[in-house]
Amino acid sequence: MALEEKYAAIISAAKAGSIENLQVREQDNVLYIDGRTNSGALKDSLWDTYNRIDPDFRSGDLVLNIDASAASGTRATVSTTSSNLNVRKGPGTDQEILTKAAHGATVTVLSRPNELWSLIRTEDGKEGYAYSQYLTQIIN
Amino acid sequence: MKKRFLKPLLFSALILTAMQLPACKSKTKTTESTDTTVTVTDTVAQTAPVVIAEDDTLSKNTVDAVKDFPGVKAEVMNGEINLTGEITREKLQQLMMSLNALHPKKINNNLTIIK
Repeated sequence: MALEEKYAAIISAAKAGSIENLQVREQDNVLYIDGRTNSGALKDSLWDTYNRIDPDFRSGDLVLNIDASAASGTRATVSTTSSNLNVRKGPGTDQEILTKAAHGATVTVLSRPNELWSLIRTEDGKEGYAYSQYLTQIIN
Repeated sequence: MKKRFLKPLLFSALILTAMQLPACKSKTKTTESTDTTVTVTDTVAQTAPVVIAEDDTLSKNTVDAVKDFPGVKAEVMNGEINLTGEITREKLQQLMMSLNALHPKKINNNLTIIK
């Protein structure tokens, strides 16, 4: 319960925001907050709060897993920090790079084979797998 | 004489049962309906235990997540991700976001912040 008090600001913001399947659980002195949202801004704001409560994430007592990557069947913006996004033959960094999607480009998310990777189609029609975290859903 | 009385008696008995049967039917119908009310008290589920990724899966996914952060060393043991090396403060949050999605038991951040 102590951890829920420490991170109360994150929990209340998560409950107030639009997060699907929100789960807040404490196990072996670690707090786990899981959920899914379409709002990348909400995820960023929860993380900013996390960094404010626990500067530089040093305590190791919270696992904050809010999935804000683009859902299957949607269009997404490539949200890498600056570099281009690798589009690979399969879901894994050991897979061959087929093409690159430019930072800020729009792609289509065809499917989500697992939690971490998405099958995408680039603007020039090439298909391959990209790391989901760098795909921010475009809200129409 | 007896036959003359028997016929209308049988007829009236038939009418009586015909009238009673639907009445019985509707009676059983009303008793069949039961109330099932589900009350949702909280949208936050707390019951299911936290699932921690197996070390093999976690190690593979950690390699993928750390790939774009040169200078960061990550080791996985018993569900915990141990971070050493160097990173800029600007990139730290991005790295932590990636690692927190991998279902680790916990993350021990011993990274040196260089800027």
